[in-house]
Amino acid sequence: MTVQTLTSLIDKQDNFEIVRDQIAGILVAEVENQMVLAQAGLQDPNLWKLDVYTERANPWDKWLNAPSNPADTVPIVNVWYDNGQFPENRGGTVNVQGHNTTYNIDILGYGASKSDGATGHITGDKSASLEAQRGLRLVRNILMSALNVNLQLKGLVSKRWVQSITAFQPSQDTQAAQNILGIRMAFEVWMVETSPQFTPTDLEGIFTEITRDGDGKILLQAEYDYITPP
Amino acid sequence: MSLRVQAESDLSFMLEDNATGFGWPITITDPDNNTNTNPLYGSSMDIGLSIDPDTGMLVDGQRVTVALRISSLSAQSLGIPKAIPDEDKRPWRVTFDDINGQPSTFKVSSSQIDRSAGVVVCTLENYIP
Repeated sequence: MTVQTLTSLIDKQDNFEIVRDQIAGILVAEVENQMVLAQAGLQDPNLWKLDVYTERANPWDKWLNAPSNPADTVPIVNVWYDNGQFPENRGGTVNVQGHNTTYNIDILGYGASKSDGATGHITGDKSASLEAQRGLRLVRNILMSALNVNLQLKGLVSKRWVQSITAFQPSQDTQAAQNILGIRMAFEVWMVETSPQFTPTDLEGIFTEITRDGDGKILLQAEYDYITPP
Repeated sequence: MSLRVQAESDLSFMLEDNATGFGWPITITDPDNNTNTNPLYGSSMDIGLSIDPDTGMLVDGQRVTVALRISSLSAQSLGIPKAIPDEDKRPWRVTFDDINGQPSTFKVSSSQIDRSAGVVVCTLENYIP
């Protein structure tokens, strides 16, 4: 049995990859913008800063085993593709399928316990939680703003929605020396995916010309090879 | 002497022997800023790997603990270190050097007190004085 193969190289990204990178790109661009706005408003721009990564397994490692005061405690955001559904009523079997994706956007906050300079102290576990929530606040507001209703990919993305938000409480059994708390925002995005199609071959060339007659009629003139049937 | 009293007495060389054992100099500071005036020795641990109890897998993460003899703390008029959740109070602080002489200060985030054996094990977190 002969098996047909494609005639062209599959060298394009699927749309779910493009959308993942777009989500990260929007966050990076808007964070920079927010920091400029904060500075113009005489506020500390670092309160709007986020470190954005995609598809990272362990982006918080820079906080682990660090000295008690790591140089960089900016909340970390990690965007990764979790799963996708292909509903049968969104698309066809030939060329276009609807792809309902879920991206996990993990926001990590770091907090260090420290003296308050008086008779109390700032607790690291609470600081880590507030930092993570601050990061979540920025991420949710950016992605759900009207400007990003289609994630600036109109025609590709038809819907984006915050599916759920879950905060991970640290395990009491293995208390690490660092206070790091994570919050996961499950972000649903509806898009379409395409796939390689047959390369068409020309069957016949037909030259056409459309004109308007003097009485307003639309005339079509066509030129094509015609072989008189026997 | 009962075996239990003997066991507590044996802590002097199991925990506090800094000459031939694993005893390590540790400084304890209570929320009122009282510190051990005489050297205090105990067992300290600061490692980068631990085992997740749920999965049994190795996980990255700094885990720091000290084990101290309760009677030695009492002898220096110090209470038993424990977690202080209140933000209007200073926490119990623990300072000790690593093997290369680099000092670090930690906050007691939880303590497991064994009043039967006379030992307190404190789990520590990073602290900026």
